[in-house]
Amino acid sequence: MSDTACDKVQSQLGLYLYGELTFDEEERVETHVESCAGCAAALEKEREFHAALDKAENQTSPSLLWESRQNLRDRLELEPQPESAAVLGWWSRFVSSIRPVGGFDGAWMRPAGALALVALGFFGSRLVPSGSMLGGLTSMGITGPQTSRVRFIEPADNGRIQIVLDETRQRTITGELTDQEIRGLLMSAAKDPSDPGLRAETMSLLNADAKSADIRGVLLYALRHDQNAGVRLKALESLRPFANDSEVRTALTEVLLNDNNPGLRAQAIDLLTQDSDDIDRQVIGVLQELMNRESNAYVRQRSQRLLEAVNASAEIY
Amino acid sequence: LAQKTGLQPADETALIRAAQQGDKDAFEQLVRVYDQSVLRLAMNLLRSPDDAQDVYQEAFLRVYRSLNNFRFDCSFHTWLYRIVTNLCLDQMRKRKTRKEESAALAAGEGELNRMDVLAEERVEGDPQRNLMSREIGQRVNHVLGGLSPRERMVFELRHYQGLRLRRIGEILGTTEEAAKNCLFRATQKMRAALGDLV
Repeated sequence: MSDTACDKVQSQLGLYLYGELTFDEEERVETHVESCAGCAAALEKEREFHAALDKAENQTSPSLLWESRQNLRDRLELEPQPESAAVLGWWSRFVSSIRPVGGFDGAWMRPAGALALVALGFFGSRLVPSGSMLGGLTSMGITGPQTSRVRFIEPADNGRIQIVLDETRQRTITGELTDQEIRGLLMSAAKDPSDPGLRAETMSLLNADAKSADIRGVLLYALRHDQNAGVRLKALESLRPFANDSEVRTALTEVLLNDNNPGLRAQAIDLLTQDSDDIDRQVIGVLQELMNRESNAYVRQRSQRLLEAVNASAEIY
Repeated sequence: LAQKTGLQPADETALIRAAQQGDKDAFEQLVRVYDQSVLRLAMNLLRSPDDAQDVYQEAFLRVYRSLNNFRFDCSFHTWLYRIVTNLCLDQMRKRKTRKEESAALAAGEGELNRMDVLAEERVEGDPQRNLMSREIGQRVNHVLGGLSPRERMVFELRHYQGLRLRRIGEILGTTEEAAKNCLFRATQKMRAALGDLV
């Protein structure tokens, strides 16, 4: 083989391993390597080089990822909704609903669209923000933050107008966690499906009385079923002092085996095995199962170390 | 890419459209599809958990604020990575010299040392091999610090993130050929640094 041919092939080996050569270039490299021992050895060395680089890759820790997600979520809570998003929401839905579909030219839909716009204007004017509508009604004693909706309008005597409003008002109450009303409202907030931030805050507050069976039940439910990982983590933190309680341990093993969030699984394994001299059989079984299915490096490694520490096999039987 | 993220393009489009209409849960799901690789890229490039977190947060905030301007002219992944790589490049350029970076690494606390991770990841195995891995990792760290920000970016995107050069070119606003040259220079330097170890 000529040195020139070998030089050219060897300069392309890196890109060859990355799969970034053209089909023809790849063919040339492969044909050459098959018949040139020097270039075959160079290719092998290039493979070792790539493997060495692979080994030097960073692994981001699950806790860093979890923390980043949590910070982002907190930050987004403070972020105003991008102004155009709300407008785009109903407007694009409306436009798409009157847009011609498929092979139809949609002309027949235009009057319907125009009618819909008129109706939108009419009903839209009935839905009023409390501030603008109620500015002149303070004499009726309506105060404090509220939302209002015009439910009914009719003429009254002497040329006046009678308007019936549906109103939702805010009310502030304060009290101890032991107060039944406060407790009931917190229990309800803990399951409010619309607001994960509210649920997370509730989990933290319930922490103060997690020794009570009812509150612990709420925390365990959230740990097992809440859709939001941040809420589940708050619940887990509130249950931390009760890591030796059998029901809590059962829930933690479920987290370890089933939760899709590696940060939570990492916390669960730490809690379940905080006393490494006294790991029960149930946990050993879970650790062995983890060795088969866990994808997260930290959890696997911790699991393996603990199994070694108690002289248990990393194999599952 | 869809295979890598486990998300079909149609699902992704639906998520983007829902997020554009103000659905925060859809936005969060969208974040979850890409955020691990974003954090890994930032961490690999900046080698500081604090800086990587800053880039992560800033990138997704920018996405959130300007998602309504996303018109599907390119893939969401490319659009997101343009934001992320720009933030990382800015950060790397701010650090300017390799000397500053080495000093930051030497300062230790809070900074990531690739070899600590390696040691943690590979506790088992024979000591000779661990020693060799440590040596390779140190050399890789050293030579990465000596690459230009763009060389380093292309190398990270190709080698560790597995992106094709054509897409890397799209992300960095350059041609596939220029990205290829960058990768070639980066790997030449790496090879020279590791030559006697592999």
